[in-house]
Amino acid sequence: MSVQLDIKEKDVNLYLPEKVRIKRVEEFTDIDKFFEVELLERDSLKHNPGQFLAVSLPGIGEAPISIASPPSDGNTFELCVRALGELTNIFNKLKAGDEFYIRGPFGHGFDDDIIKSMQGKHLLFILGGCGYSPMRSLINLVIKEPQKYKKISILYGCRMVKRRLYVNELGTISNMGGNVELMQIVDKGDEDWEGEVGLITTLIPKVSLDPEDIVAIVVGPPVMYKYVIKKLLNRDVKKEDIYVSLERRMKCSVGKCGHCQIGGFYACQQGPVFRYTDVEDNEEAL
Amino acid sequence: MDRVFKATKQEMLESLDRCMSTYRVAALTNKDGRPMYDFVTSSKQVILEYRPTVLPPKKFFFPPTETILEYSKDGKMKTVIEAEPLVLFGVRPCDINGIKILTEAFADVNGDPNYLSRRENAIVIGIECAKKCDNDDAFCTKVNAHKVTTGHDILLADLGDDYLIKEATDKGTAFINEFLKVNKVDAKEFDDFIKRKEAAFAQEDSAFKDLERLPEIFSKSNEHPIWNQEGERCLSCGSCVMVCPTCYCFDVKDQWDLNLKDGKRVRQWDGCMLCDFAVVAAGENFRNTKEARLKHRMNRKFNYLMKKHGQAVCVGCGRCVRACLVDISPKTVVEALNGEA
Repeated sequence: MSVQLDIKEKDVNLYLPEKVRIKRVEEFTDIDKFFEVELLERDSLKHNPGQFLAVSLPGIGEAPISIASPPSDGNTFELCVRALGELTNIFNKLKAGDEFYIRGPFGHGFDDDIIKSMQGKHLLFILGGCGYSPMRSLINLVIKEPQKYKKISILYGCRMVKRRLYVNELGTISNMGGNVELMQIVDKGDEDWEGEVGLITTLIPKVSLDPEDIVAIVVGPPVMYKYVIKKLLNRDVKKEDIYVSLERRMKCSVGKCGHCQIGGFYACQQGPVFRYTDVEDNEEAL
Repeated sequence: MDRVFKATKQEMLESLDRCMSTYRVAALTNKDGRPMYDFVTSSKQVILEYRPTVLPPKKFFFPPTETILEYSKDGKMKTVIEAEPLVLFGVRPCDINGIKILTEAFADVNGDPNYLSRRENAIVIGIECAKKCDNDDAFCTKVNAHKVTTGHDILLADLGDDYLIKEATDKGTAFINEFLKVNKVDAKEFDDFIKRKEAAFAQEDSAFKDLERLPEIFSKSNEHPIWNQEGERCLSCGSCVMVCPTCYCFDVKDQWDLNLKDGKRVRQWDGCMLCDFAVVAAGENFRNTKEARLKHRMNRKFNYLMKKHGQAVCVGCGRCVRACLVDISPKTVVEALNGEA
């Protein structure tokens, strides 16, 4: 291994965040908020679907947050933040006009080559809870041009009706018709819920699919992956046609601090989006 | 490059005094009767005979806490790089290997500006070991870390009254030119020293069986009983990672100054052996058993990172063994997995 001691120009400011401004806030649930954010120091984020940002509040810290908007040349991007930790609880009190900081985009997402390889295929999204957000960047990219794909199926499961994210958008998607289908399920219904009740795995048999031309994308809480993948494999979906995106603790986002390691992989470098075949034997992955 | 010189030990020590107007000097010294690497203000404080230290010299390049960012309430923000010119004297082969590995790790893919600046601003003067040190827990020969390749700027060999002085980098050469009165000698003298050293070390343990194959062996050993056997005894105190010359996991924390107007972002040593290292905000702990944490740390040393650095990322210094309250040793783990036990 050869070592470059001179610090490369790109790395001088490795840990320096850039300032951005909140344009619009929408309250999604009791703990989730949606933010449209304006870049102040560059023209566009230039990210791939599935990548994340290190969101930074001076005095509080940083947290990795998935980019919820599709790639764009515009100077805005979107985040959906669940108030769970120290930073996100404070972050979700921010209002339009408030400023915060970001580093990134980081991580390996769905790059152009992967997205190209998906054309003509049946895209099956299986998303649980706030796992919708990291894949919304890809969903909103592909439903712009649904004709490029054989079919787009979105399976979305939540624990509670009131914790569903992007409810308005889900309505639009379910009315799109054509080759776009949406199925929703909740673990526990309420008096207004007329949809399916149960675990997301019960939706998988209801999807009409041909294992020869399908790409499945699975994102959700840790417990979800192995059951969903088992169901997919039972339906003869090939292992190499399954993608997962994995959440881990992160401190640096640049492959140093060690927190996000999944066996020998860094979620912030080789991930968060992995092909299932790359992690199926990794004891720490799923 | 690679020229060899000779000077008396006295001259070497005086060069440290001479360079103090330009550099801070750190060396093996006594503090409250204990040997440690620390800053010295006179070469009289330097110990030449090696005695094992609790902490490796890693702390000069990757300090226990360091500021990486400063900000203020009015929106100003700037990165902080605290590097200063340093001469680090008397680093032994195990720790030279540690510095080599850390430098590779921090330079890899995204160059860490803080570590690399500190390393770039430092001149590391290593000293070859003529024989294995007086430390029963050390097992440098098992991982070939008694052999020096890179990581230092100047390498010394102890001839009794004199040092052989081998230049290893341009920085090292510049130091020799500026601060040392030396005689050039035949480079063969250093090679001969190494031959005598190798012969002395050959009396010690040889390398682990299948050393080069350890990544493969570890990859196939997830189910081995040693993980539970050793992991169950672990107290999750994190001492092993704190004293390790090649552990570099860190946490990042923000703190406001007392004036509540200015603040800083600091990074501090963290360790994958600590219970909450892999806990995410939702509460999930992705490495929630002692066994899983031990397995992870050992795989970093002998599998994941070993593949990347082309050498075991444990340098066999024995510090973790001495620090461990329940006597867990990487040696025990490796020998269980490669069948030597």
